[in-house]
Amino acid sequence: MRKISLLVSLLCLLTLSTFAQKKIAFEEFTLDNGLRVIMHQDNATPIVAVSVLYHVGSKNENPERTGFAHFFEHLLFEGSENLDRGEYMKVIQSAGGTLNAFTSSDQTYYYQIMPSNELELALYMESERMLHAKIDQTGVETQREVVKEEKRQSYDNRPYGSLLPETLKRAYKVHPYQWPPIGSLEHLNAASLEEFMAFYETFYVPNNAILTIAGDIDPKQTKDWVKKYFSEVPKGTKTIPRPTVVEPAIDGEIRDVIYDNIQLPAVVQAYHMPKKTDKDYYTFQMISSILSGGNSSRMNKELVDNQQKAVGVAALPLDLEDGGLFILYGITAQGVEASELEPEMDKVIDELKNTLVPEKEFQKLQNQIENSVVSGNSSIEGITQALAEAKLYRGDADYINNIWDEYKKVTREDIQRVAREYFKKDSRVVLYYLPKPSEDK
Amino acid sequence: MTDKTMKKTLLYICAGLLTFSTAFGQGLDRSVRPESGPAPEIQIGQPATFTLANGLKVFVVENDKLPRVSFSLTIPRDPVLEKDKAGLSSMVSQLMNRGTTTRTKEQLDEEKDFIGASVSASSSGGYGSSLKKHQDKMLELMTDLLYNPAFPEEELDKIKKQALSGIALQKNDPNAIASNIVRRLVYGDHPYGELDSEETLNNITVEDIKNYYKTYFKPSNAYLVIVGDITKKEAEQVAKKHFSKWPKGTIPTFEYEKPKAPAKTMVALHDRPSSVQSVINVSYPIELSLNSPDYIKTRVLSYILGGGSSSRMFMNLREDKGYTYGAYASIGSDRLVAAVNASASVRTEVTDSAVYEIMYELRRIVDEKVTQEELDAAKAYLSGSFGRSLESPSTIAGFALNVERYNLPKDFYANYLKSLDAVTIEDVQQVAKKYIRPDNAYIVIVGNTGEFKDKVARFGEVKMYDIYGNEEVPSDSKIDASVTAESVINKYIDAIGGRAKLEAIKSVEMITSAEIQGMTIETTTLKEQPGKLALSVKVGGNTVQNVVLNGDKAKISSGGQSQMLEGAQVAPFKSGALIFPELDYLKEGYKLVLEDIKSVEGKDAYRVKVSVPGGVSMVEYYDVESGLKLQTESAQGNAIYRDYKAVEGVLFSFFQLATNPQIPMPLETKVTSLKVNTQIDAATFKVD
Repeated sequence: MRKISLLVSLLCLLTLSTFAQKKIAFEEFTLDNGLRVIMHQDNATPIVAVSVLYHVGSKNENPERTGFAHFFEHLLFEGSENLDRGEYMKVIQSAGGTLNAFTSSDQTYYYQIMPSNELELALYMESERMLHAKIDQTGVETQREVVKEEKRQSYDNRPYGSLLPETLKRAYKVHPYQWPPIGSLEHLNAASLEEFMAFYETFYVPNNAILTIAGDIDPKQTKDWVKKYFSEVPKGTKTIPRPTVVEPAIDGEIRDVIYDNIQLPAVVQAYHMPKKTDKDYYTFQMISSILSGGNSSRMNKELVDNQQKAVGVAALPLDLEDGGLFILYGITAQGVEASELEPEMDKVIDELKNTLVPEKEFQKLQNQIENSVVSGNSSIEGITQALAEAKLYRGDADYINNIWDEYKKVTREDIQRVAREYFKKDSRVVLYYLPKPSEDK
Repeated sequence: MTDKTMKKTLLYICAGLLTFSTAFGQGLDRSVRPESGPAPEIQIGQPATFTLANGLKVFVVENDKLPRVSFSLTIPRDPVLEKDKAGLSSMVSQLMNRGTTTRTKEQLDEEKDFIGASVSASSSGGYGSSLKKHQDKMLELMTDLLYNPAFPEEELDKIKKQALSGIALQKNDPNAIASNIVRRLVYGDHPYGELDSEETLNNITVEDIKNYYKTYFKPSNAYLVIVGDITKKEAEQVAKKHFSKWPKGTIPTFEYEKPKAPAKTMVALHDRPSSVQSVINVSYPIELSLNSPDYIKTRVLSYILGGGSSSRMFMNLREDKGYTYGAYASIGSDRLVAAVNASASVRTEVTDSAVYEIMYELRRIVDEKVTQEELDAAKAYLSGSFGRSLESPSTIAGFALNVERYNLPKDFYANYLKSLDAVTIEDVQQVAKKYIRPDNAYIVIVGNTGEFKDKVARFGEVKMYDIYGNEEVPSDSKIDASVTAESVINKYIDAIGGRAKLEAIKSVEMITSAEIQGMTIETTTLKEQPGKLALSVKVGGNTVQNVVLNGDKAKISSGGQSQMLEGAQVAPFKSGALIFPELDYLKEGYKLVLEDIKSVEGKDAYRVKVSVPGGVSMVEYYDVESGLKLQTESAQGNAIYRDYKAVEGVLFSFFQLATNPQIPMPLETKVTSLKVNTQIDAATFKVD
């Protein structure tokens, strides 16, 4: 017995030492207006990714105006002083590029991927909307309708679509994480053009943004262009509001039933997690992998395969700047009640608390993580986002080169400790999703 | 200088100053967009190739950017018609991953996950990828899946069970329902149109699966694509070691009749009353393969029509009208048969307007030439995405595979950008005329059809479909020509006792009882004609709500609080005060439409849409045979009526099953006492 585990740890050492994370080299500088810029050169394919990360998300919203950050993401495609309504996407796409954006509780992220000979245009376009985006009533009204349809499509008309909003609402009582980025349509209807402009002037300023450029670039030329187009964007003068409230621990389990247009019941459990920068961040990621990463993961093996009580399971860390949620959910197999699945999910969590993860399983876990760390930086766009987020949340873009080292620090004892510390039954949200009894399915 | 010119000059100077200071501050004329730099050269690498003795052709794309490697096996062959065993090939694929002659599923999962690899097999190939250092183990697992499947019976039972749950999940997903209907309509009896159902899945046996594998899983004409951190030399050794012993053989071929587009555009609806959006797809089959001379031209066409967020569909339906989060169109390509599909999810109210705009865009691109600007933009976009796709090494492998499989010219991809650049406005119109067929399409809409069924009839004949894409024939029974909505109502009135007896009933006292989550709800209803109603609801013995209506006034009390209702709020109670509302149906102001015959609890029933004066409408079902009312559907919910019993010669339903969105469970309501024409104390109906 002893021999085997010794062999396993030896193997473990061996594997760990043979792998060195491929280093992503980059250069950084900051303009006088506070804009932080990161550049990564990789000339393998003649394309370039340009992204701007604004440090504003739904958590920065006025509780009477939820959905603003996401709505704004839509508005910023409307145009600028020099770009007519609807032209933004056209210009990028007619130059052979692609673009998109997303908004989370913490950030708003815009990116474009262009042929590398269009880098200057890409920088010009992003600088236009940072300098003087143009937002008019027609744009506001059209995008209001579009966002309503987005909400209907992604939440209201989709089975289990309300899972995240319903969970957030119960897990957070004081922190603005209690509402999802899509926010409230009533609030958006009530908002005036002036309010949108004020939001722009507060948050969409260079000192609240990170510009990242990666791909087939000449760094010197790139730096000149960045200066040319971005240095005249004035620094923001308003104080940027950031939530300071601390969400208290959930005092006593919160349990509820949601009736939805679904056929199979589902069980959702959510526990508070610490801040994104907490030392235990990587432990939570590993727990997610133990529970639902791959077919041999504990929840898949036990609940889906062996017991066949669920058709799908997941354990996902929703890691957020001020402390997110660790969410577990299972969709029951046909004919299985939610109340039959839930105790089995609990057992899987209890096992984590009661018994150290066996060495062999721990080795598997590290191999899985290693694979995903290596594969993580396979696209230019992916690298761009990783650099920008590391800079924003960790204050250091080089952090992306140390991810594997951070994972290696996590021990089996850490996993047990974190499970015991955070997965408390009297401090969680449990939701049952049950089929709505309706006339005509 | 006159005063006037002075002023003018000052104005000029000021203006000049302003411009100057801005220009100075910016040092940049932002109204001019930067020019493109010299176009980068796009290099398309050529993979190394070699063929094994058993016919397996191997492509190798070396790329050591990351220490990873992948192996992808494809066995090209004709699709197989599965008929009453639809789902067979998918079951073969799944079962191949669920145990080999030497490893159980659990061991396989454990070993794959242990090296963090992704390894799988399917009925027409296989895939494995891992870090380079785990390559040997990964290949050992991959080939074990490919060559030694055990097809364990108990695993088949498990995957069947999961597939059935999957089908259950789909039943409520409007997109899944839409895709089912589109597939059935567009591809019909072609294998592409087959859908699994509970029945066909249950027909599949382990024997079927073993036969399928034996017949179709062979290396002849198969391709193995190796991408990543590996040299050609090593690839040769590895391929020989793991793939050369696989015995060759011939695979049966099939030919199928090509699905045809409909002679006339028609509308296919699926009713999903809980929908807040309508999922619209306009689709029909086409013949267009990668090796067609039209292929590149149709890429341009497809992009201009609906390929992205600057395309016509998106600009019209989203950016101009705000109907949707996104509207797109695509022109598929396939060796056998493909489809054109234009789609959007829109809010229920604008369903017909959205269909109109989609059809408008389809017609416009056929009737009018696209502009030079659109053409240039499309070419730029398509060249850009071609360039971007080269970031992934598997793209190059995919190109080589396509050249081989579709017999494309060897320089097809090397010349791709050149061919794209040569496309003209006339080319685009020519392919639009050939492939865009607004008059031969299926318009498939999944949504709350009650809201728009009439309005979409202008686009073509309307038919209803179930979630599996089968046409819902209302019932075998046809409505007899002599039957009208009025005759249905009269038959009902006669069935429960006749107009004279009904009109003679001036008051009713009824007590009902229902159980919800262990609590008893008792409702006492008193009605007196005309226009008086008193309703009292008790839960667990405590009164929770009282409603009193007298003429135009109504009062609602709950938890010690009372509220007077006015105007429109009173209306629903007024109709609730009627003992036999059907007696009024034939009066002026009501509108009755006899829709069709549908089945309610196994009985054929006439479906009658009743519009009450004031705009409220509901759908009622009357038993074809007995004439009795079986069901009502309205905005308030749904009620099923059973157990009719006579009181003073008039039939009343003594059991109702009610469902509505506010109550979690269907509510079973039993009538415990019902008296007619009793004297009710006038104070009961006092509102003030």
